[in-house]
Amino acid sequence: MGKTILCACEDVTLSEVRRAFARGHRDLESVKRYTGFGTGPCQGKSCLAAVVQELLRLGATPAEINPFTPRPPAQPVDFGTLAGIDPDTLPLDEGVPVPPTPRPPVPASSGPVPERASVVIVGGGILGLSLAHQLALRGVTDVLVLERSYLNAGASGRNGGGVRAQWSTPTMVRLGLRSLQLFRSFAGETGVNVWFRRGGYLFLAPDGAQVERLERNHAVQRQQGMRTRIVSPDEACTIVPELDRSRFVAASWNPDDGVVFPWPFLWGYAAAAQARGVTVRTFTPVSGIEVSGGLVRSVLTPHGRVRCDTLVNACGAWSPEVARLAGVALPNRPTRHEILVSGPLKPWLGPLVSNLGNGLYFSQSQRGEIVGGMGDPTEPAGISHGSTLRFLSRFSRAITELVPGTAGVPVMRQWAGNYDVTPDNNPILGPAGPANFFQLSGFVGHGFMMAPAVTEIVADALTGRARDEILDRFSLDRFERGPAVREDFIIG
Amino acid sequence: MGPPMARLPDPRFATDCTVHLDGRAVPARTGESVASALLAAGERVLSRSAKYHRPRGPFCLSGSCGSCLVRIDGEPNRRACRTPCRDGMRVETQNGWPDAVHDLLGVIDRLTPGGLDVHHMLTRPRLANEALVAFTRRLAGSGRMPDRASPRGPAASHETFDALVLGAGPAGLSAAEVLAGAGVRLLLVERDRIPGGRLRAGLEPDAAPDGWPAEVARAVLSSGGEVALATSATSLWHDGGAPVCLLVGEEPRRTRVVRAPRILVCTGGHARPPTFEGNDLPGIHSGRALALALAEHGVLPGRRVAVLGTGPEPEALLARFAAAGLQATAVTTPVARARGRGAVRSLDLADGGRVPCDVVAQGAPPTPAPDLLRALGVGVDWDPALEAFTPRVLRDGATGIAGLYAAGEVARPGTAAEAVSWGRRAGEAARG
Repeated sequence: MGKTILCACEDVTLSEVRRAFARGHRDLESVKRYTGFGTGPCQGKSCLAAVVQELLRLGATPAEINPFTPRPPAQPVDFGTLAGIDPDTLPLDEGVPVPPTPRPPVPASSGPVPERASVVIVGGGILGLSLAHQLALRGVTDVLVLERSYLNAGASGRNGGGVRAQWSTPTMVRLGLRSLQLFRSFAGETGVNVWFRRGGYLFLAPDGAQVERLERNHAVQRQQGMRTRIVSPDEACTIVPELDRSRFVAASWNPDDGVVFPWPFLWGYAAAAQARGVTVRTFTPVSGIEVSGGLVRSVLTPHGRVRCDTLVNACGAWSPEVARLAGVALPNRPTRHEILVSGPLKPWLGPLVSNLGNGLYFSQSQRGEIVGGMGDPTEPAGISHGSTLRFLSRFSRAITELVPGTAGVPVMRQWAGNYDVTPDNNPILGPAGPANFFQLSGFVGHGFMMAPAVTEIVADALTGRARDEILDRFSLDRFERGPAVREDFIIG
Repeated sequence: MGPPMARLPDPRFATDCTVHLDGRAVPARTGESVASALLAAGERVLSRSAKYHRPRGPFCLSGSCGSCLVRIDGEPNRRACRTPCRDGMRVETQNGWPDAVHDLLGVIDRLTPGGLDVHHMLTRPRLANEALVAFTRRLAGSGRMPDRASPRGPAASHETFDALVLGAGPAGLSAAEVLAGAGVRLLLVERDRIPGGRLRAGLEPDAAPDGWPAEVARAVLSSGGEVALATSATSLWHDGGAPVCLLVGEEPRRTRVVRAPRILVCTGGHARPPTFEGNDLPGIHSGRALALALAEHGVLPGRRVAVLGTGPEPEALLARFAAAGLQATAVTTPVARARGRGAVRSLDLADGGRVPCDVVAQGAPPTPAPDLLRALGVGVDWDPALEAFTPRVLRDGATGIAGLYAAGEVARPGTAAEAVSWGRRAGEAARG
């Protein structure tokens, strides 16, 4: 026997919790993500107290055992049942959970901050951490990454894990292809599993206009050497037999796209960068940026001032807030995006499927859950992490229409993240305002899949090795130069 | 396999229908849960666990754990404890090869005594890693996709009541009684087919008179309200500017989106699994749930029952099991491990003692269940004495959130009588 099971749904043992803690995953949100406890069908109802007792024995502080965010539904509900709710009866809302008052205490910073660092990166998401890793690979190790919460607290830990090269412009296709290569080699390179599965992406076009869109993109992608094909509904149904073929007229299929498990990327990048000398500090927010003589001189944290030569803003949806500290106005508009998972199912779905008609997308995770989201055209700009019943009903209507077999599948958990939206759906890269204040934001829901390729280019630029054309194409001043080329293949 | 469970030989507990588990006929009682019928038939292993393929069977029997998921009539991941038996129902075990009882992949558990380090195993070379990804994908997941499209649910109704009381246990009934007495038009929601909650287990007969739940139900009806039985309050959201509750009723299937200016959460606590080696073995159950299955369906939870814990509830459990003719042993000292293969056979005590048993009844109090309350902004605190998070609920049921009240074990474990009086105070506070 030997095992004491703390989480029976995900088979998390006492020793796994101890190992997570020993590796620095001390707060409950981190322990949940690292071990998987509380993410199964019971959603933590029967395991939370036991895990907390153990963490306290190991020396966790009261702030570290603040329970993880409660996620609806408290009891699983079938897609078919939720599809019976008319979303128009549920106007958009901030959603749940409503934050408690007073807010629970925040865990202490994961360590002291140095007095200076050559490069300070604000934001410990995939962009910030992969940039730190890329800089370290280039010999720049005097790097400090500041994350205001735990790793995976932002969009990097909230996305569906889809990674693709099916884009509409040669530039994005090139970046997508390079990222796919890097995703594939990630486990071998960092020693951390990310469960990259090349299951393909299947985009469904419900009408002629969407078919034209797919065909335009298809031409671009073929020129870049991709294996993308436009396929008939019949052929699409050989790839995913559960699809209702009457719901679309054509599809675009690239077998080389895939899905990953997002969370371990951050641990892997952080560990690899730290092994080379980079410092990563979680629970360490930036409260101010000191600028003089046209240069950022230092950043302020609750634990002291850090002088720096270069400051990188990689805060995703929070980038405008951080830029404002240096007097820089970014046009990014954070916008909530809701997402959900079903209970774990045996493998049935190879690719990520996306319906271009309504923004529905879904794939199957390595653990077997259906993971999916769908943008809401009525969603206003502004950071929000609330979950709504409206989203559940919209998503459930869309998925049960397209895959009728899902009607009897229960939804297990929902949450939300924020897209970091720019006026032309393209990122903002390069200095803005102070000459040493580098922007790395505005990825509009695909920052995760672009991060490996983009941060290679940014690291080359910051170390003076090479300058890729995307730094000009995606600079902040493009909006002043005239109409920018809009990326039209944003999903969700 | 442990000795088969059975039922008390009382005509009140006669079976009247048949469900099929992996093709085997199982006698059952219409309306009892699938889990209850399977336990009575000695069927303890319903699935294999996610990573190690350890045997899994019902623990809490009340929708708080995820250990009794089965496939029912072609739909995956149904809770056996929440699904009432119907004649001809097809129940299939999940995630076992060839089935959950004989699962050959159980070897994974035996080969990994120290567990798996999933984040770091076989990351290179690439071919090995790709094989790992492909192999673990085959192993992952428990339920298979439905073979056919289930019908979509009915169109949801949108309803408003003056008050919504979730849970018809001692706290909820008592709150509903106060509100109905004041003429408040309320909806009282109970996920089981019978109101009463823990009172039905019969462990605290003095907490409320027999017939009280029915009396409250009549009072609710006569004040213009409604009692929704066999109806699950799936969650509380905040949509369209106000709290909203999604109720899903079974038989007939019904979906209701309900709003009310006063919401009283009296949904009880979550059964707490014990923590020792082998704590997940089938045959280890919530004691209160076993007492309920015994009281209502005559389910005998085994021949030799080990009851964990000290205090009035474990004592009542011992008395109850002994009265049913079982050999019941009190386990009041720490347990080091549970032994058994496929189901519990004995407990090794930390002091070196050994308790042979074929079923273990967890007698420790449940943990509070703040999930619904936290959704609407109620904070929680770790209570080191209870070793659990408790939501911030006052003695009068107020939560600090306007219109939201709570009472009973959802907030703090206690006796049924305490839940009755807390529910009354919450009803009075909500009545205003």
